[in-house]
Amino acid sequence: MKNPRVELKTVYGEVLVELGADNPDIFVVEADLMKASGSKPFLENYPDRHINVGVAEQNLVGIAAGIAAAGGIPFACTMANFMAKRACDQVAMSVAYNMFNVKLVGCYAGLTQEKNGGTHISFMDIGVMRSMPGMTVLVPGDSEEFRQAVRAASVFQGPVYIRMPKLLQGSLPGKTYEFEIGPCYQYGNGNDLTVIATGLATDIALDSLQVLEEAGIAARVLHVPTIKPLDTESVIRCARETRACITIEDHATVGGLGGLIAETLTAACPVPLARIGMQDAFGLTADLEFQLEHFGITASHVAAEAIRLLDGRGQNE
Amino acid sequence: MSKDEQRIRTAEHWARKIRLDIIDMCCRVGPERKAHPGGALSAADIVAALYFDKMRIDPDTPQWPDRDRFILSKGHTCPVLYAALANRGYFSKDLYGTLRRVDGNLQGHPDMRKTPGVDMTTGSLGHGLAAGAGIAMSAKIDRKDFRVFVLLGDGELQEGLVWESAMASPRLGLTNLTVIIDINRLQSGGSVEQILPLHPLREKWASFGWNTIEINGHHMEEILAALDLAVLEQERPTAILARTVKGKGVKFMEDDNSWHQRTLTEEEYCLAVKMLESGGSA
Ligand SMILES: Cc1ncc(C[n+]2csc(CCOP(=O)(O)OP(=O)(O)O)c2C)c(N)n1
Ligand SMILES: [Mg+2]
Repeated sequence: MKNPRVELKTVYGEVLVELGADNPDIFVVEADLMKASGSKPFLENYPDRHINVGVAEQNLVGIAAGIAAAGGIPFACTMANFMAKRACDQVAMSVAYNMFNVKLVGCYAGLTQEKNGGTHISFMDIGVMRSMPGMTVLVPGDSEEFRQAVRAASVFQGPVYIRMPKLLQGSLPGKTYEFEIGPCYQYGNGNDLTVIATGLATDIALDSLQVLEEAGIAARVLHVPTIKPLDTESVIRCARETRACITIEDHATVGGLGGLIAETLTAACPVPLARIGMQDAFGLTADLEFQLEHFGITASHVAAEAIRLLDGRGQNE
Repeated sequence: MSKDEQRIRTAEHWARKIRLDIIDMCCRVGPERKAHPGGALSAADIVAALYFDKMRIDPDTPQWPDRDRFILSKGHTCPVLYAALANRGYFSKDLYGTLRRVDGNLQGHPDMRKTPGVDMTTGSLGHGLAAGAGIAMSAKIDRKDFRVFVLLGDGELQEGLVWESAMASPRLGLTNLTVIIDINRLQSGGSVEQILPLHPLREKWASFGWNTIEINGHHMEEILAALDLAVLEQERPTAILARTVKGKGVKFMEDDNSWHQRTLTEEEYCLAVKMLESGGSA
């Protein structure tokens, strides 16, 4: 993986301003973390529609629910960790239960929280959010996709969670599609293995294609920017067309993409499956690269798991 | 020198040392990592008074069951706690270099499993008072005479959980619990007054059933007197409202919230040392 370079807060600020210009119903709600979210340009342009509730994540989500109840479209942002854990009940009862049109944005998500360490690294936000009935869960893989996800969420009717790492690649290499809510996107056509990836791990999965090819394994990557509702058709099709699947994410495999794919394939098409991600562990106080290596979220680990699952036998051999 | 004056001078001496160590850590941590010096400096006098005067502790036995407890609820300002613990002899200052390093003893937020002397893990704001109330309650039930001190940030007071614990503590009769609020008037995004004002703060705590005391949080005589009163109080838990200055002691950091989370350069460090060595802490 090349070091991710685009700071998503810049993108978030820009796109909010565009949305605010088009739609007077857009509100922005913050909990003292504007420096992390980047919504200041919106505050400067539309001060009446920007609310900072202070260090109070439960209030953040509760107030967003109220704004939606009165017809507005609030974008509420705090660190993914606090959104999923501190405000969990508000997300469930005040937002999801009522199917309110609230857009929840979890910033500094996953391992990009880096040196703030174990108390701050969100390893369960995907799991929490996808367990909420009716919640749409978006986990973009590059900064373009993040921009499109925020736009798409603004016109989508219903509650949406967007996972926002601190940084992502500008654009995934070899991309041929424009992001929409719903589909998975396939890279490559190998018939030995499907690497199913989300968020910043998709870039790592794409790197693994090369490593796998060198090991004689023909693989494909299935990128999952919409975790919920899952494009089960693509997942099952890829599982059928290949001999094994590996999931990869910067999140706990319990509840995360790994859990999701295991649930999906066990019911529809059981295949050998390995799940790469955080395994029953809190994050570390370390930079992104170190943590990816530590948790085995790497192309070489994908290759090792592939060889194990396929008994070392790729079709090309 | 009278005995009282001796107490004051001693605590002030350690506050100065703690400040020097805070800026040392917040410089050494390097530009790749950033610690939180502003809120650490604003709390230095309070923490010095606790660790070098008021608290009944034994650095050789960090897990001593009858020790007084301190919870830094505003965990991001942990350099002030690490400096107090090191100066008090819980661990060597050699550990300062491990701040915010993987597997280091000094994590970016206090971790009771990694750092000797840390009584409660914090970092997610708003948790400290509830945990402190639980510990104080246990002391009451076990008929132990140790005390619990919890330091809260003023921005942190915006967390609803703080007020749930504030409501419960008087009801639970926690006379052994003292809250100190570091009112440095700044939070992450700027001025508390502009983001979400707290006043009338004293009335809020009083109306919840707390014994309240207002002090200048950099005036050692006032800090010690307030802590003495808190210990004497027989009926209610005590909330000490300490007016402070974020970045206190280093002129170019004072009241400048860019120092909420920021690394000092070598030059800034040298300048800060000069200011601290010449200025004193009051
Ligand atoms: C639950 C939670 N929400 C948000 C944060 C991010 N955060 C860290 S420090 C801070 C501001 C704290 O302000 P204050 O309590 O006044 O601390 P001080 O001024 O002493 O630094 C915020 C919002 C956090 N650590 N925990
Ligand atoms: Mg403050």
